[in-house]
Amino acid sequence: MKMRSFLPAVAEQLFRDIQKAYQETSQIPDDLLIALKFVFGPCALQALDLVDQHSVTCLSSPSGRKAFQVIGGSGRLYTCFVSCHYCPCPAFAYTVLRRNEGPLCKHILAVYLCQAMAVTQQESVSDPQMSALLSGTAPL
Amino acid sequence: MADILTSVFRTFMSQTDKDVTVVPHSACSALLPGDSSVSSSVLLLGDSSISRSLLLLSAVMAASELGVRVVFFTQTQIQSLPVSLQKCVPSPESLKKIKFSYPRTLGDLLQQVAGLHESQNTSPTPPSLIIVDRLEGFLGGNHSEDQSSAAHLSALLCDTSSFLTHILKQRSPSSAPCRLIASFRSDVDSEHAGGESSATDPILDVLDRYFQMRCTLDRDRSYEAAAAGLKELWNVYLSATGITEDACTKEREDRPAAAPKEWKLSISPDGSMEFKMA
Repeated sequence: MKMRSFLPAVAEQLFRDIQKAYQETSQIPDDLLIALKFVFGPCALQALDLVDQHSVTCLSSPSGRKAFQVIGGSGRLYTCFVSCHYCPCPAFAYTVLRRNEGPLCKHILAVYLCQAMAVTQQESVSDPQMSALLSGTAPL
Repeated sequence: MADILTSVFRTFMSQTDKDVTVVPHSACSALLPGDSSVSSSVLLLGDSSISRSLLLLSAVMAASELGVRVVFFTQTQIQSLPVSLQKCVPSPESLKKIKFSYPRTLGDLLQQVAGLHESQNTSPTPPSLIIVDRLEGFLGGNHSEDQSSAAHLSALLCDTSSFLTHILKQRSPSSAPCRLIASFRSDVDSEHAGGESSATDPILDVLDRYFQMRCTLDRDRSYEAAAAGLKELWNVYLSATGITEDACTKEREDRPAAAPKEWKLSISPDGSMEFKMA
């Protein structure tokens, strides 16, 4: 089965459920945590750790362009796109692209979770800085 | 963007075929706002020089028929327009709508695409068509780096065209989306026409994750082709990569195959191209 770069319906529904539950109770109920682990495997707990550490920032520039930046476990910064799945991390290259074993890595999952829980940080950058981040030529 | 390609095919049909087939006045009828059948991204697979001609025809069609801005990325200078355009020469004003960029490396291409959101590139209007000629020229080296680079470039192209669509619609809600078309020549020879399994080419596998449709050019080696004499005959197949399908609930094999749309292309010794529906 070929994995695509866009989210399967079951995952989309899960994030909607998490968003609703979190809005109402400020936590993710156990049944949704279990569902998260079932759908995403080991990635799920690692992503939740990243969420706890406030690792996801939405960057915006004056042109209106946006991107997500995730601070990985090692402190390294990963720039992810808003409209499709890509992460420069080794896990994405290996597990997702090469081995086709999952649709996304913990960084992209952390983005989805932060968005669902509305805990994404916000930051502004200049247009040229945004271009550098998107092209991967920004200094780390 | 298969609709722009289909417009190209219709425009360059032989005169006799045009008389027989009803061609809509605006071959852009698929460009109506909110038309969800419009695919925003197409990967053109096959012979590099034919792909390049098709890309140029698409650029000219978009600039002259649709009046939209086009950005065309290629490593090699465009020396001349395809022979087919010499019969219906586009106006200088429409050619000015096409911006040709010649990035030399993948890094250059990434920077130029990443910079498309900046105001000097979106004024007075943002581009509505992004074209990249010969992806394989930009992606080279060993396989695992290739896959990640291919994913980065494809994702950047898709995200950029998504952003430009947003800007276009902000400025004019009835705007058509920004489209993307790129050509790629696979090294792997076991490629089948009609958009079938690409499991043997790891780069193509990655590209398939991001591009919604494939247009495959396949040399016709049948008797009909031999009988065509000096003309080259090619089969052209349009097929969906299934990117909008729910990957969890449908196996690729079980999914009803998107009916490939088939065309035939004949190329005369002088290089002029003629299409007809298969």
